[in-house]
Amino acid sequence: MPQLRKDPIIGRWIIIATERAKRPKDFSFVDTSPPEKECPFCRGKEYLTPPAIYSLTDEKGEWQVRVIPSKNPFLEANKDFWKKGEGPYDLMAGIGSHEVVIETPQHIANMADLEAENIQKVFWAYRERIETIRKDEKIKYVLIFKNYKWEAGGGRVKHARSQIIATPVNLKRVKEELEGAKFYYDYHERCIFCDMIQQELNERKRVVLEENGFVALVPFAPRFPFEVWILPKKHSPDFYKISWEDAHSLALVMKKILLKIKNLLKDPPYNYVIHSAPFRRFYPGYWSTIEEDFHWHIEITPRLTQVAGFEWGTGFYICPTLPEEAAKYLRNVEV
Amino acid sequence: MPQLRKDPIVGRWVVVNVENPLHPSDFHLTPFAHKGKDNCPFCYGNEHLTPPEIQVIADCARAPNTSGWKVRVVPNKYPALRIEGNLDKRGEGIYDMSNGIGAHEVIIDTPDHFKGIEELEVEDIKNIVKMYCLRSLDLRKDRRFKYILIFKNVGAEAGASLEHPHSQLIALPMVPKNVKEEIKGAKRYFEFRERCVFCDMIAYEREAGERIVYENELFLGFCPLSSRFSFEVWIIPKEHKGDFATINDLELEKLAISLKEVIRKLKKVLGEHPYNYIIHTSPINTDGYFSYHWHIEIMPKLTRVAGFEWGSGFYIVFTPPELAADYLRKA
Repeated sequence: MPQLRKDPIIGRWIIIATERAKRPKDFSFVDTSPPEKECPFCRGKEYLTPPAIYSLTDEKGEWQVRVIPSKNPFLEANKDFWKKGEGPYDLMAGIGSHEVVIETPQHIANMADLEAENIQKVFWAYRERIETIRKDEKIKYVLIFKNYKWEAGGGRVKHARSQIIATPVNLKRVKEELEGAKFYYDYHERCIFCDMIQQELNERKRVVLEENGFVALVPFAPRFPFEVWILPKKHSPDFYKISWEDAHSLALVMKKILLKIKNLLKDPPYNYVIHSAPFRRFYPGYWSTIEEDFHWHIEITPRLTQVAGFEWGTGFYICPTLPEEAAKYLRNVEV
Repeated sequence: MPQLRKDPIVGRWVVVNVENPLHPSDFHLTPFAHKGKDNCPFCYGNEHLTPPEIQVIADCARAPNTSGWKVRVVPNKYPALRIEGNLDKRGEGIYDMSNGIGAHEVIIDTPDHFKGIEELEVEDIKNIVKMYCLRSLDLRKDRRFKYILIFKNVGAEAGASLEHPHSQLIALPMVPKNVKEEIKGAKRYFEFRERCVFCDMIAYEREAGERIVYENELFLGFCPLSSRFSFEVWIIPKEHKGDFATINDLELEKLAISLKEVIRKLKKVLGEHPYNYIIHTSPINTDGYFSYHWHIEIMPKLTRVAGFEWGSGFYIVFTPPELAADYLRKA
């Protein structure tokens, strides 16, 4: 019998389609990417990209992680800021920024194949960039995400990188989580993510791994098969307040999860996105319990199924793999 | 300078690339790999390959599950939901769940394996839309259902697993999230202004003119100012009406003409491309929604939707709707 499950945070119902239940080997991935171009992200090719905004070096003093402005930015800084209405619509100047984080000087495609110390530096670069961007009062949110492989929206060059986008508005998906978390907090006076972690750790059905203060789990109502969330066990609303040591623990967990996904599902395309609280600025609609009610986390979504248009159009997802089984498969992969 | 635009219904911001827009020839679409009609379960003569039919439109006498039909509805062979059983909702700690009660039907648009909406006769499209209504009206008698979702996937990239033209219907025991949001947004707008947000969009778009794609006496086809996708087109009745399934015969006719025209234009401008359309209509067996306004959203799938869109609900539109509408108007 198929099951309907509701995401406890934003209240999205999803269908777990047991009729066409899929195991890892049922997903076949066809590489559709166009031929690779000359890589501008390798060491020695720095002249092909705009100058770095920020970089972190290795023990030899050479860069290991490098942040550059995007060549085709979705949003641009230092422009006149305007807002206006047009009929029932609202418009705003597209200010903000769009940066690319080059995760390694070597031509490695998957973050899973980087050393944990390297991934730690990637997280640190995110943190440092958010700290800097935050000083611009017009920016409300910084979104960090990765598109791995062409089918997940990645580029033609197979060199590990992620993106940082700063926006002058709060993003809808994040806003929904914030509202859901606040709604829960208003009644229970507890963080919904903390409660979720506790329930998951008690039940152990969907936990993939737990170590050094982080937990990786398959959510109860995932949108995609083998979706994994990584959360800090200790309550914290802001990713950018992570310590150097915690960035290392997180890197270890991240590497393990990405390797498990890679080995189990034959190196599939994936995306990840970091959901962190927006900057607390005193704008209309500001609320004061965000410190207590929101909990940052990373959502990793392998791209195994062709998402039909109706999923985008309705927010209604059909997930062909039982989350408990997905977690079991992932737990059992040795990395 | 890119522009941010806010959808007036659900309040979603989108980024519109107004400076370096992508033109139709800039989208690199992989050509459809046509499988042909061999062993197609939706073609004449292969009716035994599907589960037994639920309903058909035919203009001559025929035995069930044989050829001669014009539009044929069968249960989905791999249903996401099932109709048997009692609705069983329960909680598990902080989580909520329910068994998967519902219906999942496939509407085979035409016996012709190769004809898309743009090539069918208006009369044929009318039959398809009529079947959408008939199935909706039948299923809503089941009080367990709260929403009936009708949609179409064309092309593998848009999620179609079979190439023979077909649509799908899913009856759900609850209202999906995006529909709920639209209804909430429309209600909020109505409470403040005492006007329908969709009616206001129609009035504004008709006045502005630059995003109109097609118009007849009863329907308007336009690229909304806050489109999420390049070449997204909405077809909306000009008269305020919340429920799709109860449209009258004249509306059926005009809607069929509008669908054919808009999809023909899209194909002419973009070539063969994957797309989806979804009928957005009011929930059923629950409170009335006088502030809602049914419509069809057509979404060509031209770019690869990245994790960014899913993770943030923030969309980047590479072809401004004004430019898209200009191409489509002229086609």
